[in-house]
Amino acid sequence: MESSSSCPSDSNPKPPGASKFLSNLPSLGFLSSTVSSSNPGGMRVYICEHDTSPPEGQQIKTNQTNILIRSLQLNKHKGDSSSKDVKGLTATEGSRKRAPERALDSRAPAKRGNNQIGSRQGFEHTEGSDSRTSDKDYYSLTVERLRALLKERGLSPKGKKDELVARLRVCTFHMIGSTNTGT
Amino acid sequence: MSVWNYVVTAHKPTNVTHSCVGNFTSSQELNLIIAKCTRIEINLLTPQGLQPMLDVPIYGRIATLELFRPHGEAQDFLFIATERYKFCVLQWDAETSELITRAMGDVSDRIGRPTDNGQIGIIDPDCRLIGLHLYDGLFKVIPFDNKGQLKEAFNIRLEELQVLDIKFLHGCSKPTIVVLYQDNKDARHVKTYEVALKDKDFIEGPWSQNNLDNGADLLIPVPPPFCGVLIIGEETIVYCSANVFRAIPIRPSITKAYGRVDADGSRYLLGDHAGLLHLLVITHEKEKVTGLKIELLGETSIASTISYLDNAFVFIGSSYGDSQLVKLNLQPDAKGSYVEVLDRYVNLGPIVDFCVVDLERQGQGQVVTCSGAYKDGSLRIVRNGIGINEQASVELQGIKGMWSLRSLTDDPFDTFLVVSFISETRILAMNIEDELEETEIEGFCSQVQTLFCHCAVFNQLVQVTSSSVRLVSSTTRELRQEWNAPSGYSINVATANATQVLLATGAGHLVYLEIGDGTLTQAKHAQLECEISCLDINPIGENPNYSQLAAVGMWTDISVRIFSLPDLNLITKEPLGGEIIPRSVLLCSFEGISYLLCALGDGHLLNFLLNLSTGELKDRKKVSLGTQPITLRTFSSKNTTHVFAASDRPTVIYSSNKKLLYSNVNLKEVSHMCPFNSAAFPDSLAIAKEGELSIGTIDDIQKLHIRSIPLGEHARRICHQEQSRTFSICSMKNQSNAEESEMHFIRLLDDQTFEFISTYPLDTFEYGCSILSCSFSDDSNVYYCVGTAYVLPEENEPTKGRILVFIVEDGKLQLIAEKETKGAVYSLNAFNGKLLAAINQKIQLYKWMLRDDGTRELQSECGHHGHILALYVQTRGDFIVVGDLMKSISLLIYKHEEGAIEERARDYNANWMSAVEILDDDIYLGAENNFNLFTVRKNSEGATDEERGRLEVVGEYHLGEFVNRFRHGSLVMRLPDSDVGQIPTVIFGTVNGVIGVIASLPHEQYLFLEKLQSNLRKVIKGVGGLSHEQWRSFNNEKKTVDAKNFLDGDLIESFLDLSRSRMDEISKAMEISVEELCKRVEELTRLH
Repeated sequence: MESSSSCPSDSNPKPPGASKFLSNLPSLGFLSSTVSSSNPGGMRVYICEHDTSPPEGQQIKTNQTNILIRSLQLNKHKGDSSSKDVKGLTATEGSRKRAPERALDSRAPAKRGNNQIGSRQGFEHTEGSDSRTSDKDYYSLTVERLRALLKERGLSPKGKKDELVARLRVCTFHMIGSTNTGT
Repeated sequence: MSVWNYVVTAHKPTNVTHSCVGNFTSSQELNLIIAKCTRIEINLLTPQGLQPMLDVPIYGRIATLELFRPHGEAQDFLFIATERYKFCVLQWDAETSELITRAMGDVSDRIGRPTDNGQIGIIDPDCRLIGLHLYDGLFKVIPFDNKGQLKEAFNIRLEELQVLDIKFLHGCSKPTIVVLYQDNKDARHVKTYEVALKDKDFIEGPWSQNNLDNGADLLIPVPPPFCGVLIIGEETIVYCSANVFRAIPIRPSITKAYGRVDADGSRYLLGDHAGLLHLLVITHEKEKVTGLKIELLGETSIASTISYLDNAFVFIGSSYGDSQLVKLNLQPDAKGSYVEVLDRYVNLGPIVDFCVVDLERQGQGQVVTCSGAYKDGSLRIVRNGIGINEQASVELQGIKGMWSLRSLTDDPFDTFLVVSFISETRILAMNIEDELEETEIEGFCSQVQTLFCHCAVFNQLVQVTSSSVRLVSSTTRELRQEWNAPSGYSINVATANATQVLLATGAGHLVYLEIGDGTLTQAKHAQLECEISCLDINPIGENPNYSQLAAVGMWTDISVRIFSLPDLNLITKEPLGGEIIPRSVLLCSFEGISYLLCALGDGHLLNFLLNLSTGELKDRKKVSLGTQPITLRTFSSKNTTHVFAASDRPTVIYSSNKKLLYSNVNLKEVSHMCPFNSAAFPDSLAIAKEGELSIGTIDDIQKLHIRSIPLGEHARRICHQEQSRTFSICSMKNQSNAEESEMHFIRLLDDQTFEFISTYPLDTFEYGCSILSCSFSDDSNVYYCVGTAYVLPEENEPTKGRILVFIVEDGKLQLIAEKETKGAVYSLNAFNGKLLAAINQKIQLYKWMLRDDGTRELQSECGHHGHILALYVQTRGDFIVVGDLMKSISLLIYKHEEGAIEERARDYNANWMSAVEILDDDIYLGAENNFNLFTVRKNSEGATDEERGRLEVVGEYHLGEFVNRFRHGSLVMRLPDSDVGQIPTVIFGTVNGVIGVIASLPHEQYLFLEKLQSNLRKVIKGVGGLSHEQWRSFNNEKKTVDAKNFLDGDLIESFLDLSRSRMDEISKAMEISVEELCKRVEELTRLH
């Protein structure tokens, strides 16, 4: 770098043109003394006797989802998550708000049942309000989203979309019932 | 030959495809890593030069080789991707000296069109992801997580379909690639994309550049502080970044490789298609690029990869010629070159054609290859075994033993050569004229046979005869002391070193004498229960003049025993088994390991590891060297000790990688050998053979010897003619400044000197396609026939060619006849006294006719249509086997009565052939362009015509090499009475410079080795977790099937490199002793 910057690049009429560029070649001290011809037969053939399977999780596969479908999903997800982000935010805010409550709860286990119901109620308010209004909204959600909802409710996230929606519906009914009785 | 074939490499690939430099083996060490298609070589840079460390076989053809440093790691990792879509990340574990697999995987896609311009694999400079371009229109990303672990890969759609190069840009906050591509109007552009890992998609990058040089083919990313990219075209070089654009014109050239010199990216080495090395300099002011400069440095081999090492040293890896280690000098030499070639690494690739000849008429094949391309074209003579270059010889019958003696104990050279006969001893010495002359040592007894001679301490010589041991002064040459055998006994065998003598008289008496200054003292005597057949006290311990162990071979109980000296206590007794007595024992040491070698009367050799302190023998191994008794003797060459085993098949035993290797010597039968290092013949050997004593030097001790004949032009076909002792080649010469850039020639070479002795220039646009030495019926002359093609730029396929018939007269090529053809003459074969030519789609038979005026001409007799392009033809009797461009193998037959050629059968697979050969009447071997081998069988017993008309595929195998030629023959001396001598072999030559051997095995042996191979697969793991089974599976666009009826000899022979415990493991699984297993595998190594 120094060499090239130090010499003016345009005007140098010296005949050995490359010399000026060949100064200050990088050196770390290898190949410094007289280099002797290497012995061609001196190379050891590597025989691999140890296990060569990669560490866990490092056997890499390619995501098999079609690019189009993946990008649609991602867009959807994005769309979802952008709307969900708001919800998520509120949910997390909610949970943050509830965090001190919970801390209190642990000290006062007697109240727990009530509080849980209360929290569920709160959940219903933030998230389930639209699902109560119409079942169609459940159908409009992606399976992933449905599964996430089921998980939140502590229900099995397995099965077809119809089953998932049905399970969610039953659940909401129950909860409505319970909240009703609870309050 | 048979369908059960064993494929083994005789000469490993030498074509250097990739190289890189980094701290691989340790954070302190700098390594040069070289990829040779299916192998990588790890070298260490030291102040003294490049030190080879490791040669690693890879189960795949390497498509990408990159070193990178993940975050938080002290040393570099090696990323390798193979052409069959596997990749692995390797790390060197310095503690265990092992290559650890950090990650591996399969990056293939089910759908996708493989790229035309080769696979691209790149790693983000900030180590955020690995990018792969394997299929048109797809860019594969393997992301790193923040701990440096790899995550699931995904594809991104790449709009550009004809991608020429992709590189990562430096200094970008998001990983950014720059893509060089060609649009559908053949214009070339670059474009940048940011890789959005979260969205798994591209985002339009910071800049793009349209309408570049039409020959732009290579991108060089420039590291910080400049960043941006260099675009290398055929006529311009462009520097491009978001806000700077600089271009310079260059002399038209195609840049094949580049190497970065400075870490800041201000200088680069560029290698072009003509082997010219340029320096490209980025001039700058305060980290801002102001311009580009290019300077010619000099000429090297045509580079495929360039790695700047250190201190002005550069590694030039080449596919077309020898790879080189060069130094860039600050001042030009007399020719104006700044490049000084310091070392060359032999490369046989691409082997376009070769022939097997026996030039020295010793019954051993040599391979002469057309190697290299363009200006780096050469002929290479590849010979197995070690040659003796005879320097003097004299006729002497009945030699019974030979020893060389020095006139003074510390004289560096030998003076006397003692030659013993049945009833006399003669002493030869060098006279002043450096001639070997008979002389006398007065103190020696010359009327009887000498059993042993040696130089002793205090300037003395020892001679042992059947009656006495004589100690003679080497200065006065007078007898100083004599020890006589007890009356009634004669000395049968004896041995000695500088201070000790051990001898055996009849009835098992073992006598040990010690040599003093003028004294011979009987120090010990022992009585053994049976006769002694051989002895040795070669000192291999710390004292070079005194041995603490004696090895004794016994008759009757067939054993070898180790005694301690001087007390002659028995330490070890090793029964040899069998009924063959040991004829020669030798204590020796190679690479710091001590061995006991014991040669038997039937040509077998046993070797044991010897524990010097305890005298224990272990790890017994047995090999067969010949069929006659062997005499063992040590000698040194280049300061290393080797052992010469004289027998009907003389062999040199040496050690490499702490393993004993056996290399045959190119001599027929040697009865005795002794080193004879005289001033006139330094480092020579005296050899007694077939009534002759000769003195000669020995080649370097290695298995294959390669001699290069640089041609300066590209030889494409070669053929040998025994009668005229000439070679003939078709060659192509590139002329840089002439109007016609290429010229083609037929050249005649002397088969000893390899000088051009005659040349026949071909017409403009006329290529030599095939060459043959043959004779015709009714004509005793031997001719060279050459097939040519007129390759016109406007034609897709040649429509015109010629067959030229030459005779060699007075060392000149004389054109006798010429015949025009309607296409390229791809192949010529001698066939029933006629000439069989493959011309485009057609097989054509020509008769050799005498005209009325006495001249000769080729007259067409019959032909056969029905091929796409009949490229490769082999014949046997009336059968013709044709390898087609894309229609695999077909079998034709010539019918004499009808004078017609008909198709008999064909293989209906669509294999694109690269070579064919007939193994036997029914089995034909083919190689195709997806690097596979296969065999097909004629089905003459089929019930229907349909069945008979089908060649059945019986063997399939992925060789991983592009075969250009098969030839029957062998690289080794074939002795009719040895086991290996019965195995027929075919030799092949490939683009990577591999010479390989295909051997047809008896079924029983095949089954045994198949079992061994499957056991070895469990023990020898593929580097990087790559699977051997998958690697060897036959693979093309249509199918992938497991290898069948072919065995991988390279894997099987690596059994011999295993540790003893692993050998035991395998021997247990095979239910056969390690000794027997080693012997059987070692026999196979004799095939090449």
